[in-house]
Parts: sequence; C-alpha cells; structure tokens
Amino acid sequence: MARIIFHLDMDAYFASIEQQADPKLRGKPIGVTGRPTEQSIVVAFSREAKRFDVWTGMPVWEARKVCRSLIFVPGHPERYVETTKRFLGILKRYTSKIEVFSTDEVFMDLTAEVERYGDPITLARRIKARFREELGPCITSTIGIASSKTFAKLIAKRHKPDGIGILFDHEMLLLLKTTPVSEVCGIGPRIEKHLHRMGVRNLADLGEMPIDLLKREFGVYGLFLKGIGLGIDSSPVVPYSEVPAPKSVGHSRSLPPHLRTYSLALHVLRDLCDKVGRRMRKLGYVGRTVHCGFRLGPTGPHFGRQTTLDTPTDDDERIYRACLDILSAIPQRPKIVNNVSVSVTQLVPYRESPISLFDNDQRKEKLNRAVDHIRDQYGDKSIRVGTSLLYQAIPRHVSGFVLDQMTGEDVRGGNSGEDADPI
Amino acid sequence: MTRIVNEPIDALVVYRRGAPHPLLHAFRWRDERYKVSETFFVHRERNGENTYLCYSVGSGRGRYELRLDTGLGRWMLEAVDAARC
Repeated sequence: MARIIFHLDMDAYFASIEQQADPKLRGKPIGVTGRPTEQSIVVAFSREAKRFDVWTGMPVWEARKVCRSLIFVPGHPERYVETTKRFLGILKRYTSKIEVFSTDEVFMDLTAEVERYGDPITLARRIKARFREELGPCITSTIGIASSKTFAKLIAKRHKPDGIGILFDHEMLLLLKTTPVSEVCGIGPRIEKHLHRMGVRNLADLGEMPIDLLKREFGVYGLFLKGIGLGIDSSPVVPYSEVPAPKSVGHSRSLPPHLRTYSLALHVLRDLCDKVGRRMRKLGYVGRTVHCGFRLGPTGPHFGRQTTLDTPTDDDERIYRACLDILSAIPQRPKIVNNVSVSVTQLVPYRESPISLFDNDQRKEKLNRAVDHIRDQYGDKSIRVGTSLLYQAIPRHVSGFVLDQMTGEDVRGGNSGEDADPI
Repeated sequence: MTRIVNEPIDALVVYRRGAPHPLLHAFRWRDERYKVSETFFVHRERNGENTYLCYSVGSGRGRYELRLDTGLGRWMLEAVDAARC
C-alpha cells in the first residue's frame, strides 16, 4: 500500500462510556438522552439496543415503543470529552498525524510508523489492547485500514463492532464493483438520488462516468466522486494541531416550550450573542458579518438574514444590536419561535484589526476582557448579562438542561461550528 | 437506585508516577471504611479555575460516586448505588 491510513471509530461511544462507568448497565439495552422525557431524543444506543429497530436521534417515546426494556440514561458530556482526550493521548504515542473527524472518530497516517510494529494488523491489535487496558473493557473501537481515508472509513464501517478490517490494493476492484454509492462517506441521499438518475449504482459505475459529466453535474465535487469511483482518494490526514482557521463562530438553540414566545426568544438570543462574543475573544478573532435566524413554529418557515458592520467586532452587545436590526425586518412579529441562531463570519485575527480611537469602544473592550477573566476563574455562570435572569435558562425537567451545563473544552480546539441543538 | 449523598469523606489514595489521576484505595463514610475493589471510570470536570476529579468506584456490592476538589484536596461522596449488578 502506498499509504497506510487507519480510521478508528469508537463503538456505540456515549452508551459504552455510560456502561463503563456503571456496571449495572452492562449487557443491557440503553439509550443516552438529555433527560428521559418524552420530548427528548436518544443520541446513542448501546450495542444491545441496536439489535432493535432503533436509530440515532429517535424520540424517546418512539424508542420506548420499539424496545420496551430500553433503559434511558442521562448523558454526561464531561465523561465523553475526557474519554476523547484520553484515547487521543494513547494514539499520540503511535503517531502525530492524527486527524480528529468527530468526537469518536479519527484518521491516522501510520505509513512511516507501521514497520516498527511489524504489520498494520499487529499495530491495530496493539492499539485496541491499550484502549482496553486504559479506558476499560466496555469502551471498544473498530479500526479500518486502507491506503486512503475514504476507504479506511468504509472498511471500518463493515467491521463494526470491536473489529479490525484491512483493504489490500488487489481487493480494490472487487470492492468498487460491489459497493453501493450510498455506503461512501460524503455521498448522502441527495447525491445518491442524483447518481441513480444518471444510472450509477455502485462505485465501479461511478469510475466509468466521464469526468466532464460529473463536473457538470456536481461541480468540483465531481472530481472527488470520479476519484472514489477509481479507488483513489489522495486527501491527506490533517493533524488536529494544524486545523485551519475558523470561518465562522456561531451558536443556535432549540427552545423548550416555555421559552417560545418572541420576547423570551430575544433573551435567549442575547445569551447566544454573549456566548459567540466570548468564544471569538477566546479564539482571538473579530468578525464583520452577523447572521441571525429564527425558526417560526415547529415546522414553520425559517427567517434568516445577515448584515455587515462597518468595523469588525467581538463585542456581544454589538452582535446583539445587529441581530435586532435584522429581526426588525420580519414583516410580522412571530407568535411562536422554535429555534434561534446567531453566527459571525468574515473573521480576521484580533491583532490584525484596527484599534478603535473612541473612548467608549476601548472601555467596552476592557469590560469584556474583565468579564472573560472572571468567567475563566469562577466559571461561565459566575457573571451574566442581566436579561438572562429574566427567564429561567432551561428547567431541570427539560432534556436540554444537561448539555446546557456542559463546561468541557472543545477537543478540537473549539475553533469552528455551531452548537448542537440541546438533546 | 442511585441515592444522592453529597457528604464530605476521608479518602486513602496513592499517587502513582505516570498515572493520569490519584488511585483511590479506600474511603471512610459515616465511620465506616469502604475498600475500593474496582475503579470503573474517572473523569475531570471544570468550573472556572476549579478542577474536580469524579470517580465511579465499586466496593462490596455497591457503586459509589466520589468527587475530589483538586484545589482544596477535599473529597465528597456524591451518590451511592446500593446494588450495582
């Protein structure tokens, strides 16, 4: 193999961590939720539960119907963050070329290191043995080995749970002929449907498609598709220490029933702006374009607009004012708001942004830094904007409460992405 | 059934070189000594500058959740699960 890429995927991650922490749950079908209320959803099922017809994101009431013996366990985000840090620590002993794909998935480029351990399978076994010893017997993983990231991931998926799979170069042709396009990471239902319309069912069909046609139908992505169809994916493993600069910083929140009025949604929005500003200051960025979105009603339309400020900012107050300007464009004040989101784009490093000459701005900046300092020392809830006291954040009986309390650091360095909706 | 306790306790720990956290051997709660037979899980929690180590351990047939305030060196027994298996 030209390159030796490992894709390591933890099995039933959150559920197996809960089973590791509480032996009473071992060997039983469990579902990890925010709070086991009917409105909540299940974010992870244990291996035992997966024997039933369950899927991630399933509402609690539905999961209860499908599997009557299912035990609902409130999630512990700190445990998951800690375990991710620990398994990354173990992997770092083998290579520095680790790309964090998600909280429970990584790619590793072990081309240079594998010789030291004999062969890839021996190395994979060794890593799994270390996991068992240091993380506990319940927290297992599956490793897929191939010469590229896409195919390593595909192979791992086929050897779950607790397995090791390897794809040798001479097996590639058979794999291409027998693998439906939907099995590949990066080909979702929409692209799959599009490909089916073009007569493409498996990867070999994809490889036979003229590159010009794929480019015309899918743009630049057509090049990736063509490569996959030929069994080629040269995308490098990007170590998580070299993750590119963030393009946006944002947060969103699905509102619990008692906060779905417009005026209360504005208080939540103020809090989200506070979070966005704090994260931007932590990352050392300021941004010019503010995007604000409201989902009006459970299945209602989404109202979202953006505005560009004169000068870049990381001040939550200014971000909030920009959001209010955007919202003033809603033709009619909505009665029900289900989801609120805010994000800032066009980011530039703080040190490259112009310094304001106005006293007020400088004072505000100092105030923000002082507030950040207090929060660093005494916790995020130690000092808050007054309006956030006008509503109770999320009551204890609502599922989102648990994740709302999460204070763990982002294992990727917290430089991108939106907040997950509360579960 | 997990019962919330939240009471201060004394703990006997070993700081082993290279170990990611202190190893909990035994603890004393309400004048009774509990020997830790197995440590199931340890994780770190933070609140501002305070860091806590949270232990889930087994002793006899019970499971216990303990918390060490690493700044103050104080141990708390947070919860007890009498029948763990």
